[in-house]
Amino acid sequence: MISVRNLHKSFGDLHVLRGIDYEIKEKEVICVIGPSGSGKSTFLRCMNLLEDITKGEVVIDGVKINDPKTNINDIRREVGMVFQQFNLFPHMRVLDNITVSPIQIRKMNKKEAEELAHQLLKKVGLSDKANAYPEQLSGGQMQRVAIARALAMKPKIMLFDEPTSALDPEMVKEVLDVMKQLAVEGMTMVVVTHEMGFAKEMGDRVLFLDQGILIEEGSPSEIFSNPKNERTKAFFSKIL
Amino acid sequence: MRVDMFENIWSYRELFIRGIWVTLALTAVGYIGGFILGLFVGLGKLSKRKWIYYPAKYYVDFFRGTPLLVQILLIHTALIPSLFGHSLGFFVSGSVALMLNSAAYNAEIIRAGIQSIDKGQMEAARSLGMPHNTAMKLIILPQAFRRMIPPLGNELIALLKDSSLVTVIAASDLLYAGKVVAGAYSRFWEPYLTVAILYLILTFIFGKIINMIEKRFSNSYVPSSRKSISSDRRSRTGGDKR
Ligand SMILES: Nc1ncnc2c1ncn2[C@@H]1O[C@H](COP(=O)(O)OP(=O)(O)OP(=O)(O)O)[C@@H](O)[C@H]1O
Ligand SMILES: [Mg+2]
Repeated sequence: MISVRNLHKSFGDLHVLRGIDYEIKEKEVICVIGPSGSGKSTFLRCMNLLEDITKGEVVIDGVKINDPKTNINDIRREVGMVFQQFNLFPHMRVLDNITVSPIQIRKMNKKEAEELAHQLLKKVGLSDKANAYPEQLSGGQMQRVAIARALAMKPKIMLFDEPTSALDPEMVKEVLDVMKQLAVEGMTMVVVTHEMGFAKEMGDRVLFLDQGILIEEGSPSEIFSNPKNERTKAFFSKIL
Repeated sequence: MRVDMFENIWSYRELFIRGIWVTLALTAVGYIGGFILGLFVGLGKLSKRKWIYYPAKYYVDFFRGTPLLVQILLIHTALIPSLFGHSLGFFVSGSVALMLNSAAYNAEIIRAGIQSIDKGQMEAARSLGMPHNTAMKLIILPQAFRRMIPPLGNELIALLKDSSLVTVIAASDLLYAGKVVAGAYSRFWEPYLTVAILYLILTFIFGKIINMIEKRFSNSYVPSSRKSISSDRRSRTGGDKR
């Protein structure tokens, strides 16, 4: 579904991604782990062109996204993204946060979009917050709204960049539970996370990134119980 | 003697009232035009395209780097006559000059306001598939405008005062009224003090209005939070209205 081929990304002289090759299949949950600064966010952001790709290619459903002829906006509609800092639109009610894109971009009519939004809010457990403003929500609630907002575009793939890292510990679970439910429903997901528990439980594959290189890849049990690479071992000895 | 002088000024009251209207009209046209033009110039200064960025930058540099008085004279005596073959009167020249000048200042305010919005807002909008311009219009500008309100208010008051410079092209504004009376009686204290006090009253009123707008749009996006709490209470006792 997503093919990443020889992906390189530089910021000026800083060579952040150094040739990543990977195939993501439909309905897979891919967890990306690695030390800070290893390029996890950059890797994720290249998949919806929030960063332009320096070299190599990313192909989603047969469409090369970093082709000048490809319409970036069309690609992004199919790829939902959830950010560490939520990035809800503070000047809009929760309902409008969710409907703005379907109405503007998918040309859905208002009533239809609001029905969809109410369904999604129910799904993330926030039916009573449709008329609240983001500033009236807790971090966990904001992140669940952000997930609902991304889902409203009916994306084929969801990207999560450390969705629980900015949350107070007691709110992590409510967000992870929503993500688990999505995974169970068969959403294709790429999740950058420090939540090893989530990776172990829900990940189909775990990718270990270090210094812009995909060092090791495998099922959670392979990676967590039996890492082959020295750097992976060193990483686990530090965090576990 | 002094009392007599103020009586003389009173007899010129229509000139002063007309002056106030001219000053207000010049300020309003200059400000509204300057805001719209400033929005485009400000966006231009944020553009990555050089052929948009540089004209916007040079525009701002020119109008902020030269005296407004010089700009007024250039526009009234040189630019407009050479474009139209004759003068179009003080009001056109004056309001065009004020507009072009305040556009440069507003452009900087608008640029800074847009840049102050967290980068994540644009990224979130783009990641939902919004084209850049749509994201700017629906997500960035509504947030940025709130932050621009205080400096835009200062700019309005500055423009009101600066509009007195159009007196040099014989505009019949507020300052001009004072000048006429001063000339007629060869007295300077009373007419110019009257002018100063009238400007002071105008800036005071503008300041109050701006303060109200600032309060209305400060700190919280939740529309009048107090009201919503009381209406919640009512709906709790009186059943759900929705
Ligand atoms: N816009 C940018 N300009 C310049 N350098 C950048 C930019 N974005 C990221 N970098 C650099 O690229 C490297 C990888 O960053 P990235 O954010 O992808 O790491 P990460 O693995 O997500 O780290 P973390 O776990 O801290 O989020 C870092 O050295 C970072 O400083
Ligand atoms: Mg990161």
